[in-house]
Amino acid sequence: MSIMEYNGGSVIAMVGKNCVAIASDLRLGVQSLGIASNFQKIFPVTDRIFVGLPGLATDVTTLHEQFRYRVNMYTIKEEREIEPETFAALVSSTLYERRFGPYFIEPVIAGMQRTPSGSYKPFIAATDLIGCLNFAKDFVVAGTASDKLFGVAEGLWEEDLGPEDLFETISQTMLNAVDRDTNSGWGVVVHLLTKDKVITRTLKGRMD
Amino acid sequence: MNSVYSGPGFDFANTARNSFLESRGLPLPKATSTGTTIVGCLFKDGIVLGADTRATTGPIVADKNCEKIHFIADNIRCCGAGTAADTEFSTALIASNIEMHALSTGRKPRVVTAMTMLKQMLFRYQGNIGAALVLGGVDADGPHLFTIHPHGSTDKLPYVTMGSGSLAAMAVFESGWKQNMTREEALDLVTAAVSAGIFNDLGSGSNVDACVITASHTEMLRNFVKPNERVQKERSYKFARGTTAWKKEDIRDLIITEDITVIREGEAMDIS
Amino acid sequence: MQTVDMQQLKSGEVNLGTSIMAVQFRDGVVVGADSRTTTGSYIANRVTDKLTHIHDRIYCCRSGSAADTQAIADIVHYHLQMLTQQSGERPTVHIAGNVFQKLCYENKDALSAGIIVAGWDKDAGPSVYNIPLGGGLFRQPWAIGGSGSTYVYGYCDATYQEGWGRDETVNFVKNTLSLAMSRDGSSGGVIRMCVITEDKVERLFVPGNELPKFWEGEEVLKLIAPVKKRHEFTDDMAVEV
Repeated sequence: MSIMEYNGGSVIAMVGKNCVAIASDLRLGVQSLGIASNFQKIFPVTDRIFVGLPGLATDVTTLHEQFRYRVNMYTIKEEREIEPETFAALVSSTLYERRFGPYFIEPVIAGMQRTPSGSYKPFIAATDLIGCLNFAKDFVVAGTASDKLFGVAEGLWEEDLGPEDLFETISQTMLNAVDRDTNSGWGVVVHLLTKDKVITRTLKGRMD
Repeated sequence: MNSVYSGPGFDFANTARNSFLESRGLPLPKATSTGTTIVGCLFKDGIVLGADTRATTGPIVADKNCEKIHFIADNIRCCGAGTAADTEFSTALIASNIEMHALSTGRKPRVVTAMTMLKQMLFRYQGNIGAALVLGGVDADGPHLFTIHPHGSTDKLPYVTMGSGSLAAMAVFESGWKQNMTREEALDLVTAAVSAGIFNDLGSGSNVDACVITASHTEMLRNFVKPNERVQKERSYKFARGTTAWKKEDIRDLIITEDITVIREGEAMDIS
Repeated sequence: MQTVDMQQLKSGEVNLGTSIMAVQFRDGVVVGADSRTTTGSYIANRVTDKLTHIHDRIYCCRSGSAADTQAIADIVHYHLQMLTQQSGERPTVHIAGNVFQKLCYENKDALSAGIIVAGWDKDAGPSVYNIPLGGGLFRQPWAIGGSGSTYVYGYCDATYQEGWGRDETVNFVKNTLSLAMSRDGSSGGVIRMCVITEDKVERLFVPGNELPKFWEGEEVLKLIAPVKKRHEFTDDMAVEV
């Protein structure tokens, strides 16, 4: 078993039509032993950015604090909110700084990016544990169930899903993937971002 | 919390913890690698670079359409294979340093300058930065093409390949390359070489990116050939609304509405 | 004397599994090398130039790790350029050898580099210095190095004679390298040579299909009775013609 699998947990983000969704499981474990079913892995960065931090639990907390600090410093210096694309670069360089002693986290970023015309366009990205960015047009996955998530999402995702359809797709992808992963599960939380709303739903999932 | 000041360079603070974890039987996880086919080829008036667009983590395709031809300067580009983060950051760093160098000397950057910067950096890190590069460009001395290995050794050749698909691609070059090719011939050969990697090497796949650099112009041909496009699904896999049961919902409205309620009519201002 | 310890190279490292050579003669030196660079069993470069310019009349032959030897040669080149500007005269081969030796000795734990330095200078005339793996510095009338050199020590010992002219020396180098390349799997390709004299540096090139040939076994075939033609065997019989 690798360090990445020690506490378990998975995150996925998907793009829809004028919306994005990000979902994670809620399990915290120590290898096969379940510890908690309310462990938060997705954190709000700004009103329109969420970051999911699956991986070693101690680093989930440390990196969340690190990002909070760096985003606050950015907000103070720039006198504006950070944009998703900028935040992705911040995440990437924060992780690469520790190239030779990494945090065991593979972040997933989802947000609504402001366009020059003042509207919002969906943005998702993911990095590996040393900060290699992956900008995808469809979906990104990470965590212990990532292999399963890849497979299910590849089959279920389609273009231009509206917020409610995207919710169903990401929820079903997540629920069915974590059911086939021993180290993920114990409940799922989904965040759905549109240009003017953030909907957070806690799903009914298997507790075994 | 860490100190407010964060110095330049790598932070090794976690290494002790990580090697402890490793010693307790928890092996270090894999980073994204570009199991790649990257190529470069000299022709009559310049350089053609080529790359596939697959990124992998072990046996999983992490990114089906990533960019492996990195910007160094207007007249210099660099293909990267190996650890994806390393190729991304080392090319970005050298691109930055080259721009600073160009600004301070007032001259157009040279390919050998970029090559020397990259090889000295990679040599300093003794192969720990896993970047295998194909560097190409046109400068005051004409066209140049180099390969740079992770340990910092360089080769100067008229046609080069790197990455896991390099053998397949080199086979195409060795049989098809000739001196003084035209732009079209070179682009065809590069496409054939990268395609050989895409179809015969498991670590390479998806599309062909190409970049043509001549003395006057650099043309980036992103997704030049797309031989592996996904076909339209035969049906929609949309779920009926309400398929997923949820226990709790929280809706946060980001539109701030403000109602102004006038408490009482004020007296008209005296403007006399 | 020394060979490159293949195990010592880090995995994936580019290796000059080489045959290199330098020979002193009356008016100058001849340096020569094969052209093969390998990563494991793959030939990363089949036309490598392992004869590296260090100064106007000083060249070195590199063997071992490509990265290490390139880095060392670059640093020595830099030092000699600085030295020339400061002293106003050309450095001797001995000085070049000493700079190489200092780097190779002080960093012996981190390097795998076997280098031969050769050239012409006003003090000593032609000279050849060998800097093997540990970082020693030895002046020799002739020196061979790299993995291919082990196969040709006897040939060199038996053939070399003092007082040769240019052409005899070039032939000696050409023959030695050809023999080494034919026996050593990690050497091959073409032969590159440099003749360094007081007046000039002359570059020589021998393509892979024009290498000096030695006994290759043709006569043995002639001694064996002519093989039977294929149709004389029955169809289902396993044959080796």
